[in-house]
Amino acid sequence: MPVTQFNLADHQRAERKTLLTVAAWNETVEGATTEVRELLGRRTEDSSIEYNADIATSTDILGINYTDINKTQPQQDFDPYLILGGSKLGAKLNDIRRRNALSEMSQFTIYIITAFCGTDGAYEAEKHINCTITYNSMGGDANVNFPISVYLSNDSVTGTVDKLGDDFEFTQDA
Amino acid sequence: MDKNQAIIDYLITCPKIQDNPLYFNFIHGNEDDKQIITTGNEKTIDRPYVDGSVLKRFTFTIIDFKSVAYRAVVKDGVHVDENVEDILQVQDIIDWIEEQNEIRNFPNFGEDCIVESIATTANNPNLNGVDSNVSPALAKYSISIQVNYIDVSKVLWK
Repeated sequence: MPVTQFNLADHQRAERKTLLTVAAWNETVEGATTEVRELLGRRTEDSSIEYNADIATSTDILGINYTDINKTQPQQDFDPYLILGGSKLGAKLNDIRRRNALSEMSQFTIYIITAFCGTDGAYEAEKHINCTITYNSMGGDANVNFPISVYLSNDSVTGTVDKLGDDFEFTQDA
Repeated sequence: MDKNQAIIDYLITCPKIQDNPLYFNFIHGNEDDKQIITTGNEKTIDRPYVDGSVLKRFTFTIIDFKSVAYRAVVKDGVHVDENVEDILQVQDIIDWIEEQNEIRNFPNFGEDCIVESIATTANNPNLNGVDSNVSPALAKYSISIQVNYIDVSKVLWK
């Protein structure tokens, strides 16, 4: 599969908003299960996916370095993550917190959408299943902050999404 | 949505403003006239978020014109409270703004702007000076007001 080029003009920088992290989970209402989604990053000024590569480097007697990457453990923190009216994920995590239902924190699907790759109607994306979202603290000063960390499972497939909105359709690459 | 018009529409719902002439930027002041003065905001206070929204601030000032009494507040055992009463009327506007913030009644900046808060920058009016060229002389009390809002017009996620 050819490498997709960026949909940017030469030397144009990709705006931060074109890298999107979307949390999704299933909710069952009256027997019908639907995937609920929410874009992460509202009121967060700075957030990056940290890949946390586990690297081992050895050097032979000629002085040549050999670097092995054993694994990556991608993680993304959102701090602040404010308690906001209308936040579906905030309400979901607060419900988990109240019940101390820890296992439910590892049942999220995370979509990483790179809107700087692809075209309108087919933006490149990754879908990670069984991801973990942890709440790290709760409190703050003027507003209630509930910072979270997202741990990507790497159990993922690549594909595209047809739009940038909660009702997007994810199509897995052939 | 023009934010200046939104502010005018909002302020005329204030009981202490709606029954008096309200001017925008330019005025030949008379007793109890109110004046809105626009204030430029430094873009450096904008706070962009990773989803493309931006926290911004809209600042303006209300000038309230009140006649001046050049008399001692207390003299020979007689209290003359005109100046004190005048500033209390200006204070009522500050209190009204605080109440509106509490009940989240904000100016309507349009669907691309989510107003977060409205607040005065001080707890009491500021005396900006006295215009002695008119009769009676007029004191100019000012109230600076900040509206914090989230501009979501550039958000990709719809």
